[in-house]
Amino acid sequence: MCWATGAALADDLVIGLTAWPSAKVTGHIIGELAKERTGDSPVYLERGSIGLLTAIARGEVDVYPELWSPNLDNAVKRIGDSLTVSKRSVAGHQGICATRAAVEQTGIKSVADLNDPAIAAAFDTDDDGKGELWIGDGSWFSTNVERIRARSVGYDQTMQLLEGAEEVAMAAVDAGSALGRPVVFYCYSPHHVFMLHDIVVLEEPAHDAASWNIVAPADDKDWLQHSSAATGWDASSLSIGYATSLATKHPAIADLLGRIQFEPADIAAMSYAVEVERKSPEDAARDWIIANRTRIDGWLQ
Amino acid sequence: MSGISRRRMLELSGAGLAAAMLGAGEAQAQAVYSQIYDAKRKTWIDYDPKRAMQYYKAYGSVPEEFKRQTVSFRTAEKPGTIIIDGDRHFLYLVRPEFQAIRYGIGVGRDGFGWAGIVKVGRMVEWPTWTPPAEMIARDPRNAQWANGMPGGPENPLGARAMYLYEGGKDTIYRIHGTAEPWSIGLNISSGCIRLNNDDVTDLYARVAVGTKVIVLMSGAALYRGV
Repeated sequence: MCWATGAALADDLVIGLTAWPSAKVTGHIIGELAKERTGDSPVYLERGSIGLLTAIARGEVDVYPELWSPNLDNAVKRIGDSLTVSKRSVAGHQGICATRAAVEQTGIKSVADLNDPAIAAAFDTDDDGKGELWIGDGSWFSTNVERIRARSVGYDQTMQLLEGAEEVAMAAVDAGSALGRPVVFYCYSPHHVFMLHDIVVLEEPAHDAASWNIVAPADDKDWLQHSSAATGWDASSLSIGYATSLATKHPAIADLLGRIQFEPADIAAMSYAVEVERKSPEDAARDWIIANRTRIDGWLQ
Repeated sequence: MSGISRRRMLELSGAGLAAAMLGAGEAQAQAVYSQIYDAKRKTWIDYDPKRAMQYYKAYGSVPEEFKRQTVSFRTAEKPGTIIIDGDRHFLYLVRPEFQAIRYGIGVGRDGFGWAGIVKVGRMVEWPTWTPPAEMIARDPRNAQWANGMPGGPENPLGARAMYLYEGGKDTIYRIHGTAEPWSIGLNISSGCIRLNNDDVTDLYARVAVGTKVIVLMSGAALYRGV
């Protein structure tokens, strides 16, 4: 393994790694499998989502291991044909989750139940009459959408919407679960929190594209007032993205990337291995390959 | 839904009960009710300064739930991480095998309006306490300590202090001991995150400079917004 410290050579396979653990493991699995095929070690480059996509458009990066849709759909459209997205995706989900204690103590079943002041008060910790709901990290695309959803459904009136680091929010789920306290929070799967705790995904109306109008803050200072999203998220998915030029540069690897088929349980287990079991992404990747050699052989047949 | 809206703010002005009973470092005008769980009656009961002092006088300790204890705690955080739940008045020190040592804490209403991730940047035994200028203005008796009150049993910072840093800079927030152990479990006055002296000494021995500290976005952490 080597890390990009300067410009990669033209023939190097450059694998982008975003910050979250399962993407790092996926990246290293791709790297190990590519090495098996070509004998060459890939170069790994850590960068944010948009930075990686821009680097792919510039021809500086070849692989984006975990491309979230619909979150990055607009960014993918912007870079156009320079990116190919594998047709073999992993089903994901995003929405609002509750601890088991929240369900048992309040009877909450749906996201709209948060409009009920009595239920919302169950999540109040600072005595302002509103419950608290973490809606994501301030830097995430989804966080603005969650603010829009809260306003459209109406629970922005009953809940205090909190933005902050995911580690802080997950620690609150840990503490709430340890004490049997009710907690609601923005959640996405696959994610290791579902392996750590008994978590319930709250129900909501199926996504209706006609009811969704997401205006970006960069485009309109009144983006919140001019946006609406009163139904659930569109079906989410994770796919491997790669530079279209890879089909010429390393056709065997492009072929490999089009064949890889992870399952949601794989992604959650990768996240758990790194975050909870303290494995390095490299070790988690090697362990995964050893444990799944038959499946890998099946992909390649 | 017992225990859900379990704390009601009590404003105590000037010479109110809490202020009358508190020492120089912690006597301020606000207190916030907590509730604690009465296992015998299976109900939440109010826990305020008066009850806290009565309890401590009667039993010589804080209620069972605020005593140091090892608890089951499933988390992705590494062993050695500190997690502070200002709402429930607990500080967790994460241990291996999904366990944590849970300490009861008191938090300051004035000095605890933040949440996030910081690090222990400095550690001091029997620290000196220097009252801020506004505290001296509120209570002229504090003027005698303008240049620092030496460490000792009466010092509001107690037996140990762990100074919390963010980005290499002192946040002015501390995890420290207290001269008033009965105040554990309450939100009272200024001061940061207080443990009784036995507990803060125990915690101090288990952590090092660089320890990650997570302050949850709940309870007192939200009083001035996140």
